[in-house]
Amino acid sequence: MSTLQPVLLGELPSLSKLYVNAAATAARRRVLGAAGGTGQLPAVSHEVRNVHADVGNLTAYQHLVGETASDTLPAGYVHALAFPISMSVMNRDDFPLPLLGMIHLKNKVEQRVPIVFSESLDILSWAENLSGHRAGTQVDIVAEVRSHSTGELLWRGVSTYLAKGSFLPGIDKPGAPNGAAGTGDFSPPNPTALWQLGLDTGRNYATVSGDFNPIHLSVLSAKALGLRGSIAHGMYLASRALADVGAVKPDSFAWEVAFEAPVFLPARVALDITTVPSESGGWERSDYVAWNPRSGRRHFTGTVSALA
Amino acid sequence: MAASDLNPNASREHTARPTANRAAVIVGGNRIPFARTGGAYAKSSNQDMLTASLEGLIARFGLQDERIGEVAAGAVLKHSRDFNLTREAVLGSALSPETPAYDLQQACATGLETVLGLANKIKLGQIDSAIAGGVDSASDAPIAVSEGLREILLDLNRAKTPVQKVKILSRIRPKDLAPDAPNTGEPRTGLSMGEHQALTTAQWKITREAQDELAFNSHRNLAAAYERGFFDDLITPYRGLNRDSNLRPDTTLEKLSTLKPVFGRNLGAEATMTAGNSTPLTDGASTVLLASTEWADTHGLPKLATVLDGEAAAVDFVHGKDGLLMAPVFAVPRLLARHGLTFEDIDFFEIHEAFAGTVLSTLAAWEDEEFGRTRLGLDGALGKVDRAKLNVNGSSLAAGHPFAATGGRIVASLAKMLHEKGTVNGRPARGLISVCAAGGQGVVAILEAA
Repeated sequence: MSTLQPVLLGELPSLSKLYVNAAATAARRRVLGAAGGTGQLPAVSHEVRNVHADVGNLTAYQHLVGETASDTLPAGYVHALAFPISMSVMNRDDFPLPLLGMIHLKNKVEQRVPIVFSESLDILSWAENLSGHRAGTQVDIVAEVRSHSTGELLWRGVSTYLAKGSFLPGIDKPGAPNGAAGTGDFSPPNPTALWQLGLDTGRNYATVSGDFNPIHLSVLSAKALGLRGSIAHGMYLASRALADVGAVKPDSFAWEVAFEAPVFLPARVALDITTVPSESGGWERSDYVAWNPRSGRRHFTGTVSALA
Repeated sequence: MAASDLNPNASREHTARPTANRAAVIVGGNRIPFARTGGAYAKSSNQDMLTASLEGLIARFGLQDERIGEVAAGAVLKHSRDFNLTREAVLGSALSPETPAYDLQQACATGLETVLGLANKIKLGQIDSAIAGGVDSASDAPIAVSEGLREILLDLNRAKTPVQKVKILSRIRPKDLAPDAPNTGEPRTGLSMGEHQALTTAQWKITREAQDELAFNSHRNLAAAYERGFFDDLITPYRGLNRDSNLRPDTTLEKLSTLKPVFGRNLGAEATMTAGNSTPLTDGASTVLLASTEWADTHGLPKLATVLDGEAAAVDFVHGKDGLLMAPVFAVPRLLARHGLTFEDIDFFEIHEAFAGTVLSTLAAWEDEEFGRTRLGLDGALGKVDRAKLNVNGSSLAAGHPFAATGGRIVASLAKMLHEKGTVNGRPARGLISVCAAGGQGVVAILEAA
């Protein structure tokens, strides 16, 4: 991190422009046959200072994912706030992996201090841990959100993405499957919730998060990118699970999710939240797992726990 | 969380003590027959049905022009325009227009809670007479516009210029025009009430046969009660109905066993809940006349029973710690403990049949040693309910269940049963009522023969 060259952006990048640019880059690489891959991540961090949440957008987000419209930013909302900056890192010409078609494998968030919506925030993002995956190459995109006035770290997120089919020089693919994947031995528990997700689930989340990735918007746009239909945003699903865990979690908490089978829309998703009690009988953490109630295929697993 | 919070629903944690007050007596009740949804009352509103039920009560007990201390009623499925449903029903009735009224809403416990709240006011000496009630229509249910259209219409209302209005109207999309009908899904889980109960039914290993048998008994008992005229002074006909239209006097266990499961088919365990052993959506209304002993005496009215006491409970169902409809399991031992009573001291058990599985899971929990020790804070199982004392004149599986009207149906019927029974071993006959409700809630009460 200390070796990263800081790049200060004047304002939050526009996600729609980034997606257009990514599509253009993908087309150019296809025509010129040049894979960007150098096996090196750009040694830079992108930062935007003095970012504010829009309260109308916050309310819409909170209602969509099932949070009460409180004045505190949900941890998933902070992810959405930081996402354009992370995208701008992945959209750099010297970023070695193609942005479009990347798969969100897992996400790890530390919500250290609750963030009130009126707070002025500095958001920093960079890429690290380029590593091999049996199906391609994976990378961690880190985002940190600090108080603009005090510099205190409030929120930290690490998103792990997979560029399927991209193999870079010098990055060995591991022999055995890694990650939490492997749905073979999963037998669904009794659900504690059932979600009915309509075809517009992706569009609705795109509206509040700004993430207009075509794979989430419509069957046609998703098919154009090689999927058989549109899929729900992973962070939408994880944010709903976080909302369902509810008020039991403390102010400082860790929130993890590992994505497995994508949720093709429309869908019914079954969810189980298990409260794990501490030795004193209080709350230690909540584990969650979601699956397709028809096929029994697991969509994602995760946990919300207290930050030490 | 402190260690003492481990088991907040346990009976021993409860410190409330009953205090001696004057009695609140049940004079009688009146309801209209309950109708299956889309049937005889399809076009009747909640206010229509509540007024009809109230008018029957007024006629039965000669309450024309009477200023009643207070009337409380409610509906679970309620139009926003019915913000004063009960007061409007009073104004449309022969009661004195100077009778105050309020609405109450506690899901399916609404009816019983109106009885308890008003009985408490009588016991405290705030009022001398009261009418409790409830009504629900699944046929005439409110339908809301979609969230999208609602936002647009509210924005439109705030717009000042025609240009702003046109701009706002142009936001309407075809999908916004689809209406939003109420459903029985729990807001926090998305599971319907039937799906929640299916999980509980499976957890307590309640068999299909046991559920069908309970449903069969409900129909048989209700039919027998009608046959011997038990409901003659409890029901006023309405819209051509003299009996609950869901009642199937000729149903058999064989017929019930042929029905296909409707709940819990995708939840893993074997699905056992059918349309026969689950209550149907129903329309109807009920009312109960309560009074102080003096008021009943000066008006020359009967005193069927007294409202001894009530207790509410709630369970943490959201992440599956307890079943959605299991709150009465915790309320009953607390209420019994408060009065030093056991199941031996109860002569009638009125356990609302939301689903046969609900009643049977409740009984199973009370008979479970481990559950009694670890969850109820008792030395062992709470006890076994004598089936011969359970829902002896039928319950919701046969009569139907217009949500807020069920409490009044049970209270009026039980008061009459207790009055008929009189005394048992030298003490007044006693009845226990248990009603489960959405949101993981439950309200229970004990009545005694007066």
